Amino acid sequence: MNDTVTSQTRKFMTSRPLQKKQIVIDILHPGKVTIAKTEIREKLARMYKTTPNVILVFGLKTHFGHDTTTSFGMIYNSLDCKKKNQPKHRLSRHGLCEQKKISRKQQKERKNGMKKVRGTLNSRRIINFKKK
Amino acid sequence: LLAAGGMLESDLSNAVTLLKNLQEQVMAVTAQVQALTKKVQAGAYPTEKGLSFLEVKDQLLLMYLMDLSHLILDKASGGSLRGHAAVLRLVEIRTVLEKLRPLDQKLKYQIDKLVKTAVTGSLSENDPLRFKPHPSNMMSKLSSEDEEEGEAEDGHSEASGKKSVKGVAKKYVPPRLVPVHYDETEAEQEKKLLERAKRRALSSSVIRELKEQYSDAPEEIRDARHPHVTRQSQEDQHRINYEESMMVRLSVSKREKGRRKRAHVMSSQLHSLTHFSDISALTGGTARLDEDQNPIKRKKIPKKGRKKKGFRRRR
Repeated sequence: MNDTVTSQTRKFMTSRPLQKKQIVIDILHPGKVTIAKTEIREKLARMYKTTPNVILVFGLKTHFGHDTTTSFGMIYNSLDCKKKNQPKHRLSRHGLCEQKKISRKQQKERKNGMKKVRGTLNSRRIINFKKK
Repeated sequence: LLAAGGMLESDLSNAVTLLKNLQEQVMAVTAQVQALTKKVQAGAYPTEKGLSFLEVKDQLLLMYLMDLSHLILDKASGGSLRGHAAVLRLVEIRTVLEKLRPLDQKLKYQIDKLVKTAVTGSLSENDPLRFKPHPSNMMSKLSSEDEEEGEAEDGHSEASGKKSVKGVAKKYVPPRLVPVHYDETEAEQEKKLLERAKRRALSSSVIRELKEQYSDAPEEIRDARHPHVTRQSQEDQHRINYEESMMVRLSVSKREKGRRKRAHVMSSQLHSLTHFSDISALTGGTARLDEDQNPIKRKKIPKKGRKKKGFRRRR
């Protein structure tokens, strides 16, 4: 990161039960586009002397008309803690988890099909068998 | 030439007297310095257990003196000071001493106190270090007294003991037992609205400035919070606080977006510059309607059933 980009951290809190530290980051980037999450992770890693793979940055919001961005960061004690405590979509952004990609149309068709059917799978099988 | 010669003569007599004074003073100073060096060599001033900061200062000052005397010697024997090595050394020592000065200021209080204790042998009476912490002062004495009283009375000890142990003052809410007839007519409602508008007008900026103009009291200047705090800005602040403490991002509904846009447009134009708050209640004109003052009444959710979970949005 260049010298022109400055960041300031606020609301630092350590959470022992969740094995993490959480933080609110304010980034000033005059004349530039919003800073990428990977760069913010590296900067946090340098600040807190850990590796970037236990750090998670999300919720970036750039204030309209100003050159500041507010984001949230979480620094976990280890990679395992991170894997256990974070939702899958965030882990998949870091490549730690694979998310199933069922298309929206198919999900809806399945749901509408299930509306017409009554009973659990087993009971339906029994009924079908009896019909035959 | 004669005038220059005359000046030289008067200067000469002055110079001779000055030199004699200098000689006397130098002899006195050398005697003192020799006495000091004898004492230091005898070990009368041990500095092992003292502040190293002060020792550094001492050494630096001594070095400064040595260099200075070297320079004076050279100059007195007719040499030039240009490019003299001692000048550079002097400058260096001087800068270090100047940098030490703020540290000296900060340590002044501590050093003074140490010296005082060393001299007098004990701490003064007003010294706050003498006061021990008393955790028993932290406990509320009222509740402990009640408890003791409750235990003493055997008659109704349990009930009173329980009540006084709670100790938290709760606001008294009268019980709603019987429904009361609602008798407010149109006229009374209008009167109430007028009263409210009057009160609001009295505390508006226009009337306040008039009051200040005619009152005899001195003018108060307060460090005021943002003077144009609107409902929208307060809600935005509430939302930001929630987001940062919960570490989530809330979605903004269409209604909310519209409100924000309207508020922004109103404030960014110069429209609101000349629009002061409505004092028609006092002056007797037609009332100007503002969304903040007359909000559209929506169905109220009962306060008892409402849970604190989640972010409560304004409908």
